[in-house]
Amino acid sequence: MIPERLRSNLKREFDRSLLAKLGLVLLVGVLLMAVFAPIIATHDPTRTGYVDENGNEYPPRGAEYTTQIGEDGEFVEVEVEPNEEHLLGTNNIGQDVFSRFVYGARTSLLVGLLGTGLAVLMGVPFGLIAGYYGGRVDDVMMRIADVMLAFPSLVLALALIGVFGTSGIGVPDPIVMAGLADGMPESTAIPGTVTIVVALVTWVWFARVARGEAMSVRTEEYVKAARSIGASDWTILRRHVLPNSLTPVIVLATIQVAAVVLLESSLSFLGFSGTTLSWGYEIQRGQDYLRTRWWIATIPGIGIVLSVIAVNLLGDWLRDALDPNIEGERG
Amino acid sequence: MALGKFLVKRLLQGVFVVWGVVTVMFTLRAVSPGDPANLIVGEAADPHLREQVREQYGLNEPIYVQYADYLQGIVVGDFGYSFQSGRQVEAMVIERVPATLELAIAATIIAILIAVPLGVISASRRNEPADYGATMFSLLGISTPNFWLGLMLILLLAVQLGLFPTGRRPVGLAEALTALATTGYATGLVVWLKHIILPAITLGTYFTALITRLTRSGMLDELGKPYVDATEAKGLPAALIRYKHVLRNTMIPIVTVLGLQLGTLIGGAVITETVFSWPGLGDRLIQALNARDWPLMQGIIVFIGISFVLINIVVDALYASLDPRVIDE
Amino acid sequence: MARKVKGRATRRSFLMTTGAASAVAVAGCLGGEGPDDDEFVITLSQFPDTVDPIDHITGDYFDVFDHVYEPLFDVQPGEEPETRVVEDWEHGDGAVELRLRDDVQFHDGQDLTAEDVAFTLERQIDPEVGPASSQVAGLGSIEGAEAVDDSTVRFEYSGAPALAEYEFGNYARAMSREWTDDQESAESGEIVGNSADVFNGTGPYEVVDFTPDTEIVLEPFDDYWGDEPPFDRLVFNADEESSGRVAALETGESDLTINVLPEDVQTVQDTEDAEVRTVTSFRNIFCPMKNEAEPFDSREFRQAMNYAVDNAGIIDDVLSGFGEPMSQPVPPGVNGYNPDLDPYPYDPDEAASLVEESGYGGAEIELVAPQGRYLNDADVAQTVADQIDQLENVSCDVDVVDFGVVSDANSAGMDDYEIPFFMIGWGVITGDTDYGVSGFFQEGGGVQTFRDEELDQAIEESKGIDDPEEREQQLQAVNELAREKAPWIFLHLQESIYGVRQDVQWEPREDETIWAWEMSQ
Repeated sequence: MIPERLRSNLKREFDRSLLAKLGLVLLVGVLLMAVFAPIIATHDPTRTGYVDENGNEYPPRGAEYTTQIGEDGEFVEVEVEPNEEHLLGTNNIGQDVFSRFVYGARTSLLVGLLGTGLAVLMGVPFGLIAGYYGGRVDDVMMRIADVMLAFPSLVLALALIGVFGTSGIGVPDPIVMAGLADGMPESTAIPGTVTIVVALVTWVWFARVARGEAMSVRTEEYVKAARSIGASDWTILRRHVLPNSLTPVIVLATIQVAAVVLLESSLSFLGFSGTTLSWGYEIQRGQDYLRTRWWIATIPGIGIVLSVIAVNLLGDWLRDALDPNIEGERG
Repeated sequence: MALGKFLVKRLLQGVFVVWGVVTVMFTLRAVSPGDPANLIVGEAADPHLREQVREQYGLNEPIYVQYADYLQGIVVGDFGYSFQSGRQVEAMVIERVPATLELAIAATIIAILIAVPLGVISASRRNEPADYGATMFSLLGISTPNFWLGLMLILLLAVQLGLFPTGRRPVGLAEALTALATTGYATGLVVWLKHIILPAITLGTYFTALITRLTRSGMLDELGKPYVDATEAKGLPAALIRYKHVLRNTMIPIVTVLGLQLGTLIGGAVITETVFSWPGLGDRLIQALNARDWPLMQGIIVFIGISFVLINIVVDALYASLDPRVIDE
Repeated sequence: MARKVKGRATRRSFLMTTGAASAVAVAGCLGGEGPDDDEFVITLSQFPDTVDPIDHITGDYFDVFDHVYEPLFDVQPGEEPETRVVEDWEHGDGAVELRLRDDVQFHDGQDLTAEDVAFTLERQIDPEVGPASSQVAGLGSIEGAEAVDDSTVRFEYSGAPALAEYEFGNYARAMSREWTDDQESAESGEIVGNSADVFNGTGPYEVVDFTPDTEIVLEPFDDYWGDEPPFDRLVFNADEESSGRVAALETGESDLTINVLPEDVQTVQDTEDAEVRTVTSFRNIFCPMKNEAEPFDSREFRQAMNYAVDNAGIIDDVLSGFGEPMSQPVPPGVNGYNPDLDPYPYDPDEAASLVEESGYGGAEIELVAPQGRYLNDADVAQTVADQIDQLENVSCDVDVVDFGVVSDANSAGMDDYEIPFFMIGWGVITGDTDYGVSGFFQEGGGVQTFRDEELDQAIEESKGIDDPEEREQQLQAVNELAREKAPWIFLHLQESIYGVRQDVQWEPREDETIWAWEMSQ
């Protein structure tokens, strides 16, 4: 399937680049965390009220003091029992921060992958058709693309959410269903609207790339030959044009996953996510507690940064190895 | 094709794009659920009043008439009235523009001031520690969500160290400058400066990282070109070559990429303004969204679309005058 | 200083009125003089986005506009109304006649007439009287107003007489008819503008500078009929973030700020000359359960939900102690509050067995809650849902949404069951149980979430009772019945937290109103 030359390029770049290896390790780590969240998490991430006997939330393991509101509304430093239960402490309503961190990976990656996949499905056919037919068809389709590009993706996403609202789709968790993780939530909410919205605001980048490829292939001898023996447009698009555009689309898709993860976290942070189990939402929650419980906002941010770095490093690797010339926008 | 003709063509395309943006926004509003009269006067309002309000806002007209009215309004700069406040949308947009502009410009300045030297150093000391440092920095910079970065800056620099104020800025640049001019006191300006630094860093970090990357790779490309060796052979000092010729050639693609990334800058401003209560367009957009104030939302987004198109035309024109080959593409 | 108060004179009202009047007298003497009372800055959480004082019922807006367009009465929940522009009043048959002071002037120099008051009210009732106001829904039982002579206004009133002053106090203000007609924008039919000229009331302060969206500056009105108010300049601005409001207090840019989050209380305390003041508000947070949707049609199930939730725990953990648990639909201090009722205790075992009894064991429900509307609302909702979820025979999810969605569910009434179970807040601003129950529990109440004939009847009965004491008893019975039938999960009353300069003498009011004339420095 993959041409030999590409494979050897990929391998050479990978061997040469420490960063590519780091990216792969990080990404596999985040993926495992997302898939096996119910097993890795130590507590039900939605369970509230994990507080010590004085009603204080636990700081991350290792911290000895926490801040609490005293009788007269003043803050007092209170010594806490070393907490063995909660690795990263608990948040302002006593939920286990580590478990929420683990589950947060699910939301980010699900939206990142599903949203990007959807954008590919929308953008690539659009671009191929525009590029292959050229002329007036191309003109009209590219003007549509121009209009889409005039909206910053976050702004368009917000407008779309203004129309469609946010809604989560509860999907049963196979691992919990199989009885592998007792006491974990039986279903995970996928932020459905957000997934569709991120696809709607990012597909145009794929359309542009696919169009460029289709235009360059259109005039190749083998396409002309295929046409001359009476192959239909559909066959030519599928057999010759599409495979040629795959490389840049794959590279762009990798980069776009990073952009979509960031876009999802921004939407969650602004409160338009449809799920409360998301890194962005958790940061928004922690925003009010920066002075007293720094860990609530800090820890989920690390999750975002690590996943986005992982995806970006892989994107760099693919780009260096395959060398397509593409641009994308960040969320 | 001459530059003038090229510009006319781009302008026409721009008009089309703006029309598209207006149409998309109008469609979104038309398909959005809920009776607009409810948004204006509340669900339990008297039917007569609702009727009257529908009349006033032209909501009883057939949809194509509403569309034509809206388009016509946009042409003469009339964006309609906010559902919530009843004020003219264009006024509500314009009064928020300076703050966003100040933030965006400050962020761009910070980005260029840091990124260009960093990229140059990185490229000229390839594979040395400085280069690795710059590469790691730019990797982190493009991977960090700016709202989180903003909160971390607040946590470290404002809350823990107390170096910067938190909270909404009390003065804008214009006010601060007026005060300086009339009274001779710069206190307002200092306060303004203190308030803008953290948001500007927050918004600027992604661009700093991006420009560092672009400068580095652009410099490396240019340094490998034959003319560098040739000029070096003529005895020009190496530093001069590096900064004058190489850098100038590197900047051209950077300007283009920045034009393309304008959307990212505006999107970033929306969220940065929310984190810092910065009284700009983004802050207002989020308010409008929360209140489902469609005319205001539409107005802000259409305004952003128009600015985006105009700036891109300017960037294209600049680019075309630098590199006339573009025109023929 | 003495003011003549007519109306229903009970012993209680006499004591309250004298008390209130003398307090005002003291405040009046302290304010108005002294060289230090120059500028006072109040930071709200939302800057008024309209210049029309009767356009929206939003606490933050009233905080500003009351200073310019003063209310006719000062009505504090649980206390007798205090007169302001109205000198005295008389209840008649289905109507109330208010006599206005004859020395009240608008800021533009015109004299206030009864015609103006009637017009201001009509604007909110009759859509034909422009400029349109969106307040038509909220005027309770006021049906109309007309000027009898220059200084007498007659309000058509269909509710219990005891409610009249509350409603007049909340909704009736005076705008000049002539002036308003001039202001009305031909295009939008509303009062719009961005200069100080778009305000003209009879209040103790007049607007001298107005920057939309940013700042409104007031100065004492020289020809005000009453005492000279404190502060030479009164400034209102706003910051949506609690931390920002507190920062303004910290840096001295603000002297009083509202809605301080529990998390920011420490910062205020650490500020040298500022302090925190709190008052339990009338904003009641609860979760309606529409009782024509399963499983909420079972009283046992609804009661079980109340037993399942640890109210006191939520207040301690999620609200940092800034709240009061609720036992009934209305808070203490409201007329008709039943002091004999206790909040449902936290008893998961009882809850689980009630669920079994209801026949809905194994039910799966979802709580829909807003975000950013009430104090830590999404966090409260997640905790409530989780505590219900911890019952072995009920599973409960939470969906955090835009407030609009919740508000729509609330006003959708009993015909819409898409969202039968949600979290919302309601302020009993009239200070009377009626305002807290009839909308929710009666047919056509506007925000009906519960259909029950017995409760409906009990409320209806209370409306027809003239005798205040008898009516109070009936309302107490209504509250008891409501607790028993558990139409809501009763949660808590929010506490309002203010950050104030220490040297300001001012106690926060339960109704969250901020009036500068009640302050002194």
